[in-house]
Amino acid sequence: MKRSKFINLAAMRKLPAARPSFIVKPLVVAVSTAILSACSEPQDDAIVIESVDDCVTKTTLNEQQCVAVYQNAEAEAARTAPKYNSRQDCEEAFGYEGCRASSNGIFTPIMYGYLFGRMMDTNRPSSVYKYNQRGSSYRDSIITADGSVIGKAGQRNYKVSQSAYKPKATVSRTVSRGGFGAKASAKSSWGGSKSSWGG
Amino acid sequence: MLRVPIKERLNWQEQAKEYGFNYHTMYGDKYWDESAYYQFSLEQIENGIEAPTEEIHQMCLEVVDKVVRDEQLMRRFCIPEKHWDFVRQSWLNGEPCLYSRLDFCYDGKGDAKLYENNADTPTSVYESGFWQWLWLKDNVDQGVLNPASDQFNSLQEKLVNRFSDLQYLTPGRELHFACCKDTDEDRGTVQYMEDCAKAAGLDTKFVFVEDIGIDAEQRFTNLNDEVITWMFKLYPWEFMFDEEFGDSLGQQNTRWLEPAWKSIISNKALLPMLWKMFPNHPNLLPSFFEDQLSQANFSAGIVKKPIFSREGANISILRGEEKIANTHGPYGEEGYIYQALHELPRYGDNFTLIGSWLVDDQAAGISIREDSSLVTQDMSRYLPHIIL
Repeated sequence: MKRSKFINLAAMRKLPAARPSFIVKPLVVAVSTAILSACSEPQDDAIVIESVDDCVTKTTLNEQQCVAVYQNAEAEAARTAPKYNSRQDCEEAFGYEGCRASSNGIFTPIMYGYLFGRMMDTNRPSSVYKYNQRGSSYRDSIITADGSVIGKAGQRNYKVSQSAYKPKATVSRTVSRGGFGAKASAKSSWGGSKSSWGG
Repeated sequence: MLRVPIKERLNWQEQAKEYGFNYHTMYGDKYWDESAYYQFSLEQIENGIEAPTEEIHQMCLEVVDKVVRDEQLMRRFCIPEKHWDFVRQSWLNGEPCLYSRLDFCYDGKGDAKLYENNADTPTSVYESGFWQWLWLKDNVDQGVLNPASDQFNSLQEKLVNRFSDLQYLTPGRELHFACCKDTDEDRGTVQYMEDCAKAAGLDTKFVFVEDIGIDAEQRFTNLNDEVITWMFKLYPWEFMFDEEFGDSLGQQNTRWLEPAWKSIISNKALLPMLWKMFPNHPNLLPSFFEDQLSQANFSAGIVKKPIFSREGANISILRGEEKIANTHGPYGEEGYIYQALHELPRYGDNFTLIGSWLVDDQAAGISIREDSSLVTQDMSRYLPHIIL
């Protein structure tokens, strides 16, 4: 046979819209309920660890181990947390005194803690933040760096899927946009029926 | 190789909507055309197209290896000097590629002749890998076509498998997909590639080319300010080289699909270079740079192609003194190459071109385009095919 043996037609359908989306987008961070994508994705009971002491009390790790995990979580937070140009923009999303200045005039939310559970990678713990946007239904929720909502703050534990522990993308501060695409727009103004930049 | 008329499926337009195929008709003209199909024998497919496709791909890789090591050739290929190292490193580091499409002139009898290599931004991949596959399945299921009908089209299967390999070769990175705004065709193509990557289990995101940002450390970012570490771009390398952010290419640890070394073989300078390295190869047409034209004997006619061009733009064809075709477009400022005329086969009023797909180095299927003119362009119709 010279053709693909099987194609999953259901997966190729674009209608009806695959799933409702609850994405709200305040400023930079797009907070959304963690979508239970695959029913089969393993679930875990996670707790939110707020400090080294908290870790020593609530987990089986010793103090030295707890310090190491906390440091790792802070490093992940520095790399992946949302970045804002002003304290005001940041505090609007994360509350009064919820942010701190990091390098070169960038403001990031202060890490609330990190997710601790069976499926975690202690080298790259998933840092979490307390969302505080006025008027948002996600106010007082615990979110990960990419804006996925874990649950309301103050719970003893949280049901999370394995993807909550996945290392998050590095977040930076964009200094400029639009540096690609100029050639296409120059050439498309040339003529009528340009439908593709491929070939 | 035959052209056979067939009834269109009753509900295909509905089905196109359901599957998100939004560009089957463009500017009021048919692009997807299922009023006929082409029929090949297995021998024509395997010996006429599949084998030469894989062989020519290997020859193209030899060209890359030669050009990246030779500054004079880099200049001939119009790679801007400031990007030589970026292009060279992508090759020397063995950055993996995903796909290409070779365009052939073939009528089922003699040798297929290579027109060009769309190695950087090939389109019509959705129509090929999925839509014509579905057309065959429907027609066989409905008893219209012989159940023994096959198709040279393992494109989707191979793409999904290739994405799995690429994930293994590029661990821990999320793959961003990008194309320009305001083109349904490119958006559809990129969506399809993203679907294939997802089917392979990759984490993916999308960003428009115009929305890409840059941070203080020269890293590219998406609209959520997330750093882009791996990107599939349906946007030509030669455009990116010349644009504002082009100066930052290679300054950050980003992996690209296609990799930058593809800029050498998606370039029409490939054609005279192939002819020089593999003279008289049965699947090549004599091709020359402008300053080598004295060596050429173009008795049948001559085709003039810009070094950079897409979708048949700015091509002229001369037979003797007579200009028999001349397409318009925005390309040509970098110069031209000259290829011996070898006219497309004619089926009724149609000139027919065969696109032969490669996923990495494996031949993966064909697509067929028809036009009423000798030059196949972006509005040429797409027709399905079978093997029987």
